[in-house]
Amino acid sequence: MSGLSTAVTEAIEAIEAGPQGPSVAAFFDLDGTLVAGYTAATFYGDRLKGRDVSPAEFLRTVVTAVDGELGGDPTRIAHVAFSAMRGESEEAFADLGERLFRSKIAGTIRRESRALVMAHQRAGHTVAVASAATKYQIAPVARDLGVEHLVCTRLVVEDGQFTGATDGPMLWGRHKASGVRAFAREHGVDLAQSYAYGNGYEDVAFLSSVGHPTALNPHRDLRAAAARLGWPVLDLSDPVGGSLLAAGRTAVALAGMNAGVGLGLAYGLARGDLHEGRNAAIRLATHLPMALAGVSMNVLHQERLWTHRPAIFVANHQSALDIPVLGRLLERDFTIVAKKEARWDPRAVVGSVVIDPAWIDRSDSHSARATLDGVVDRIRSGTSLMIFPEGTRSATPVLGPFRKGAFHLAAQAGVPVVPVVLRNTGELMRRSSLVLNPGVVDVCVLEPETDWSVDDMSERIAALRTKFEQTLARWPA
Amino acid sequence: MNDVADEDVERWVAAAGWSAAPELTPMQTLLWRAERHPVQSSTSTVVIDLDRAPDWDRFVAATDWGTRLVRRLRQRVVEPVVPTAAPTWADDPTFDLAYHLRRERVADREEMLVHAAQIALRPFDRTRPLWEGVLYEGMPDGAAYVLKIHHALADPLGTVQLLSMLQSGRRAHTPRKPLGDEAVAPVEPHPVDLAVTGLRTDVASLPETALATARRLGRAAARPQVVVASTLRYGASVRRLLTQAAPPSPELSPRTGRMWTFLTLDAPLEPLRSVARLGGGTLDDAAVALVLGGLRRYHARRDSPVTEIPVGVRVSLDRADDLGNRFAGALISGPMSIEDPVDRVAAVRGEVLSLHTERALEVLDAAAPLLNRMPSVVAASALRTAEAPDAFVLTLPGPPRRRYMAGAEVQGMYVLGPLPGAALTVCLVTCGDTACVGVNVDASAVADLAGLAECFAEEVAAFSA
Repeated sequence: MSGLSTAVTEAIEAIEAGPQGPSVAAFFDLDGTLVAGYTAATFYGDRLKGRDVSPAEFLRTVVTAVDGELGGDPTRIAHVAFSAMRGESEEAFADLGERLFRSKIAGTIRRESRALVMAHQRAGHTVAVASAATKYQIAPVARDLGVEHLVCTRLVVEDGQFTGATDGPMLWGRHKASGVRAFAREHGVDLAQSYAYGNGYEDVAFLSSVGHPTALNPHRDLRAAAARLGWPVLDLSDPVGGSLLAAGRTAVALAGMNAGVGLGLAYGLARGDLHEGRNAAIRLATHLPMALAGVSMNVLHQERLWTHRPAIFVANHQSALDIPVLGRLLERDFTIVAKKEARWDPRAVVGSVVIDPAWIDRSDSHSARATLDGVVDRIRSGTSLMIFPEGTRSATPVLGPFRKGAFHLAAQAGVPVVPVVLRNTGELMRRSSLVLNPGVVDVCVLEPETDWSVDDMSERIAALRTKFEQTLARWPA
Repeated sequence: MNDVADEDVERWVAAAGWSAAPELTPMQTLLWRAERHPVQSSTSTVVIDLDRAPDWDRFVAATDWGTRLVRRLRQRVVEPVVPTAAPTWADDPTFDLAYHLRRERVADREEMLVHAAQIALRPFDRTRPLWEGVLYEGMPDGAAYVLKIHHALADPLGTVQLLSMLQSGRRAHTPRKPLGDEAVAPVEPHPVDLAVTGLRTDVASLPETALATARRLGRAAARPQVVVASTLRYGASVRRLLTQAAPPSPELSPRTGRMWTFLTLDAPLEPLRSVARLGGGTLDDAAVALVLGGLRRYHARRDSPVTEIPVGVRVSLDRADDLGNRFAGALISGPMSIEDPVDRVAAVRGEVLSLHTERALEVLDAAAPLLNRMPSVVAASALRTAEAPDAFVLTLPGPPRRRYMAGAEVQGMYVLGPLPGAALTVCLVTCGDTACVGVNVDASAVADLAGLAECFAEEVAAFSA
């Protein structure tokens, strides 16, 4: 579950050992390669939901799709879809792409594909997404992966509206291969040294245009061809989808969390010590649900969690799971700063009873400052603080910019900052999901940083963010 | 000198063991029974340029020796009366070398090529050994040997192999050449006996076959979804292989298959190989790209723009880069709009490798045994179901260095394949440092034959640049 598979690690080592620089390119197919599943299906599902599809169009689509599967022209289905988009606004479609990326597609990016992309980026290679999809499907994914180049099917736009036609051929099969070769000529890429990753049976021509092809989670016919052609095959793990079982366990876990809070508080009341009661509630409310949901942790440098208390713990934020995970790590004597709006989030409401967060009203800077002054006092008196400096959950493991608030508090209270890197909480519980999947959370506690002051704060924050990035890119052994 | 002779002897001994199977393979049987000469023909013709006319007596003696070394050259095909068994090879008791080998005089090489095409168009006497050789003399620069050989005896690859094996590494005569085992000729099988034996084998294996079929049906009934899914996938693959390539070029029609014209051209091998390397392909891919380049020029000259044409290629069923033993023919869409030879090789490479995803690539091999039990009309039409390409392209490895035939040096070896529905069949044979390209053109489909020859010559120059 955690870490990269041996095969992927070896592939990355081979990339590192191979030639470096921009004359080497790495081409990644989108559907089934970078992301699990088909982005087009996500788009079409959205059209169906929006009742944008007439029964006749639906029937035509189904018939064309089946015919494509049975040896007919498999690209006709796409042309049916393109012509159905005639007259639609390009801007609206691009917005839809962004929306579907955040809600659905971001969660389907394969972690190990991302690791391969990053390995090529570290090697200074020219990285491109090569796909028969349109840029509205690809661009958000490419941006998230930091990939600049797209080799893809282009749709004709006139006066901001689609005409239903494509500009040039659909980049499928041989046309994707020739698109890649044309890209190589334009960008001075040496194809014999370059890499390509694809999964479809139609990707053989695309893959064969480079010196280092890899069949990645290949379709059965590509797997057979790869065996015959002696091409390496990589099987990557897919992002965990919410299974019914996982959903059931999540419900049990939520119940466990409430029970834990209740038990802890009851214990505190019985002992007449609310402080200890809270700490007991935290222990129970984090241990119980995670155990019930089948989530365990693998923590590197756990001792750093205890050497500098009180402290401000900063972590990257991808998932609602981050809070119970950090709660279990910090165990006792801590609180959080949260935006006021989150106060009524059903997932936070129970926890907030125990850890008594400092609620910040972002719309009112005066009251926010007053709240933070109170927080500084609480820190000085021994309560550690847990903050997500990105401010909001990211849709993918890519780090957002760090806000300064946490570090100002560290300077004011004169306490150290303890950075905590969380790797795969987003995979176990997706950004907008209520379902928690079983697995192992990877945590790495970085070296605590002391003596914060306003003077060099920006540089230190930037340096710290880079450390987060590096740790996420190359997980320490 | 002795080394060369040793090497020759080694090769000759190997030739003696060449193709000794007593029966035709299922695929050979299919081609044999489905043959409708010349439109659905299995005949290849080899034109060998010689630097001088060899001594006729020595040439006859050498050929006689060759037929004794390779017994197949003295054998004929015996068919069972009903197709219950595969045809068998049997020694021809009436074998007469003079029937198969003769010499003629021509004024020049062009005339020789016209004669060669006429020889190729004439059907074989199917009751005799399936080859015919003519030595052409009287040309101003040297001589030529034309050998016509039936596919059942040797496919083009086998023909070139056989010839490379039989030729000598030196100009001088080699006395005491090795001979094959003076095996007693197999008893002449009777067609009725053959049919009965085949039937008896079928009947004997019937319970076993029935049991195996029942077992297979039982297994299929237990997992219907799996069987249905895999059948559908196989069917889809067959459909793709039989239909999807490219529309045939209007410039290469109408085809009758009855007017063969032979063209030959030479290309230096090294530039061809380096273009192949740059495009990430093999020599086969470069040969296809070369043919497409020539046809692209021809279409441009005729003002008939075409972006792709169907091309018939040979795909190795073993590892793609090895010269394996199992091949399948398949159609690809040949790119006609790519000007750069390197880019064209890369495109062809992609097309050819893409065929490896087709699970039905071996469909004809798989169907051959079944088709062979049917009347030959069925087999003939089965072979016709696949759409004919505009051109077939084939690459064959020839002798790696200089070879001699009865004292005359071999200067070029060109294979002219049949035209089963195609407008052109192109075979590229590697001879030392030269690629010898033989083109059989359906003269009814190509309006400007001289123009086509020029276009090919220009493309060879483009590859060498």
